Amino acid sequence: MFELLGTSLVGILHWHYLLPLAAGTLAGVIGGALPGVTITMTIIVVLPFTFGLDPLQGLAAMAGVYVGGSAGGLITAILLGIPGTPSAIATTFDGHPMAKKGEAGRAIGLGVWASFFGGLLGGVFLVTATGPLAAIALEFGPWEFFSLFVFALSMVAGLVETSVLKGLLSGAIGLIVTVLGNDPVLGQPRLTLGIDFLEGGIPFLPVLIGVFAFAQIMTDVERMRRRGVAGAPVADARFRVPHLRVIGEILTRPFLLAWSTLVGLLIGVLPAIGGSAANVMAYDQAKKFSRHPEKFGSGIPEGIIASESSNNANVGGSLVTIMAFGIPGDAVTAVMLGALTIHGIQSGPLFISQNVKLAYGIFAAYIVAHFIMVLIIALGARFALRVVTVPKAALFPIVLVLCVVGAYALSNVMANVYILAVFGVLGYLLVKGGFPLAPLILGVILGDQIEINLIRAVMTDPNPWLFFTHPISGGLLAASVLSVAFALWQHHRHRRRSAGAAEEEDVDF
Amino acid sequence: MLGRDGWAGLACLAVSLVLLVATRGLPQSALVPIGPGVYPRFVLGITAALSLLLVASDFAGRGRRARRAPAPGLNYALVGAAFAVFFLYILALPSLGFRIATVAFVLAFHALLEPPRGARRWALALGLAVVVALVSWFVFERGLSVLLPRGRWTDF
Repeated sequence: MFELLGTSLVGILHWHYLLPLAAGTLAGVIGGALPGVTITMTIIVVLPFTFGLDPLQGLAAMAGVYVGGSAGGLITAILLGIPGTPSAIATTFDGHPMAKKGEAGRAIGLGVWASFFGGLLGGVFLVTATGPLAAIALEFGPWEFFSLFVFALSMVAGLVETSVLKGLLSGAIGLIVTVLGNDPVLGQPRLTLGIDFLEGGIPFLPVLIGVFAFAQIMTDVERMRRRGVAGAPVADARFRVPHLRVIGEILTRPFLLAWSTLVGLLIGVLPAIGGSAANVMAYDQAKKFSRHPEKFGSGIPEGIIASESSNNANVGGSLVTIMAFGIPGDAVTAVMLGALTIHGIQSGPLFISQNVKLAYGIFAAYIVAHFIMVLIIALGARFALRVVTVPKAALFPIVLVLCVVGAYALSNVMANVYILAVFGVLGYLLVKGGFPLAPLILGVILGDQIEINLIRAVMTDPNPWLFFTHPISGGLLAASVLSVAFALWQHHRHRRRSAGAAEEEDVDF
Repeated sequence: MLGRDGWAGLACLAVSLVLLVATRGLPQSALVPIGPGVYPRFVLGITAALSLLLVASDFAGRGRRARRAPAPGLNYALVGAAFAVFFLYILALPSLGFRIATVAFVLAFHALLEPPRGARRWALALGLAVVVALVSWFVFERGLSVLLPRGRWTDF
């Protein structure tokens, strides 16, 4: 395993792979730093550039975006008090106050190096756990896979922050998308509604691009000409990062680093909870375990370390889920899964054994991306404030053009662009209706697999009780029911506590 | 009176029922014990049930809804116009071709979100539109071998 990793690390340092990896990491840092531009949007923009590359080049660029984006949000979180991405929300709590005290360089340094250490610890887990988990998944039959996908979907639908019912309905809408077109077993046309291009089914990448890009852009457009820039910029952004000092500060808090990394990893492994929850939960845990919780929020290093180490470890966790089980942990890994599909590579438990070089190449790209990310932020943070002033009026049409290119280039047909537009409208309407988007996307991705495994199971043995009597399958189905029940209970408790609160809240896509 | 959730639930219910009816004509398969209509019916049935629950929960919570503060003013007219410009762009793509349609789209979308004031601003916006169209065309067609739409009318 380590020999393969060593070979892949040497391979990824060749300019052929290093160039797309560095470009992806730079794009990720910039996208992460831009308030209103999420990592998902950045990876959607990068996607069409990967079509002409070989699979590892493309996936290295995407791993770079993911790592760079998870860390890039800290720049604006610290310097402007506005998290560049939701995964840097908790970084603002202590990062911005520290910067306002005249220690912007220290705050940036703590964030970057905490991201680095958290990410690398996540990398250890990624390299060591993916293979064994995939080996376990290889033992699964169709009953277990069916139940695993149902569990992933119900968990995502149940853990969304808005409403459990809307989460479940959003997942069901995603499943409906997959029943339009041919049935996945015999290829028999069904529910094509008389539309020719539906006969091949609806490809998930235009759906994903449309839903996320328009939901993000149009919710920003509706606030344009209305809202000023929030947060107070740091007066003097000319700062120096005291690297050795901040590394010392992080490494003298090993429990904090390890625990926050673990929180990030576990949340990353669970589908669709994501970095936005990881950093807030790690911050909350750090505060609970601290001997001086009252100091949190005043600009102390613990707050920054907890938030940033967890959000980069979260990336490692998400990659484990997609590489071992073929289940995307979030929208970013869903796009990576799409990139795999474009290159004809089947994701799932067989991925690592059938594509050893590619899998270890992704591990290597993930690790090297952390070094590049440190270099980019250490050298470029002081220039970042200029980048974040790019007007959205100029940025949004460029993003939309790249979305159109991404959808069109999938198979060089305009039908994919029309699908992008239709789902763009749907995505925006769903967000306005308070529906979470993550369950919808997971439904679109897993729908075919759920049906295929259901039919395989019934063809092997028509007894439906086997779904419940096979121990792993039964356990997963029980866990699905429990996760929805738990979410219902939690929402009910939350609603009682926050009765009377305002209706309009920011929606977490 | 139904609220936002109620109407959303009704829309989902209507779509799932229409599709549920459409599954009735699907033939059985001799090779597979459950035909191509079984899984869609299962999914659509669940969707219909969840939609009904959403309508019911919205109806039950109408008192709570009335007490809530109104949403802050959002610029929905701008959103509608932005969607319209985008739809015009994708409809024009096959006729005008990628380069011409993209210049027009980037300029129109930019001008819609932040109307340029003065000739200099207009020139900058036009310059950006031309650069975006040409650079993306060059990178994708020449660099990455991705063929972009040619115009039926312009052959460009």
